[in-house]
Amino acid sequence: MVQTPEDTRKPLDWEKLEIGETFPSYSYVLTQEMLDEYRLGVMDPEAAFPTISHKVDVGGYNRTYKDAGSVNARCAFHCYNPPVPGKRITVQAWIADKYVPRGKTYICTEAVSVDEDGRLLDRVITHELKQPWEVGKKWG
Amino acid sequence: MGIVRTYTAGDELPPLVKHMTQEAINLFEGSAGHRGPSQFTDEATARATLGTRGTVASGRMSLTFSLELLRRYFGADIFNRGGMADLRNLRPVRPGDTITLSGKVTGIAKEANGSRVSVEITVVNQKGETTGVGTGNCLVPAGFLPPEE
Repeated sequence: MVQTPEDTRKPLDWEKLEIGETFPSYSYVLTQEMLDEYRLGVMDPEAAFPTISHKVDVGGYNRTYKDAGSVNARCAFHCYNPPVPGKRITVQAWIADKYVPRGKTYICTEAVSVDEDGRLLDRVITHELKQPWEVGKKWG
Repeated sequence: MGIVRTYTAGDELPPLVKHMTQEAINLFEGSAGHRGPSQFTDEATARATLGTRGTVASGRMSLTFSLELLRRYFGADIFNRGGMADLRNLRPVRPGDTITLSGKVTGIAKEANGSRVSVEITVVNQKGETTGVGTGNCLVPAGFLPPEE
């Protein structure tokens, strides 16, 4: 029998989720292959911030909590310095906000990425609707 | 020193058109190592999670296109070191869609080391439906702006 790693994530309790909760920092090496694949995907040979596809702001949340999924309702991205392939990138992410318009719960996560030379690369802020089935109900 | 640039409220940005394919979505997701089934790459997962008839593109793809729209307008030398975009996703963007991004300068505000040029962004699909709206801005260093009178 194949054993799968135990899922140690906590079920999301939206009421108890604290604004300001900071997740353990996370790091990865950005490779030239990642940049090339990203540029093909976005059909832009000069796209400079492949860090967007890494979804690092919600990564910390998703490694900590399990829930029914989410939909990206709003996302902001601040460009400071394009990341350089081969460099290790360290990400710090946290819960920036949560709110309930019209009875639907949203979580806002934020993250900054810094490379191994200490260069600030980017900042990303995402508002996720935690009732993803609302998309199908509304748009099919 | 770079080329001197001028900005005026009401200026329209050259539109940007993107033809969405499942292959492009898969590449976007895969570029970060997200290769398992997801609402973006697998129809069954999309139906189960979102209740949609098929896959959808990540909202981050439209955000990326917004950054491209602005970068082409301001120039990479400026935008990649001081630009931003903030996009609200109003409708799903799906494989097979053609989306057009447009923008208009809404304001110019002087700051200590240049001027911040603000832009409104609209994303419309081939049916004329608005899939996203947002804003962006870029700090244009004083050295790139015409000398003051």
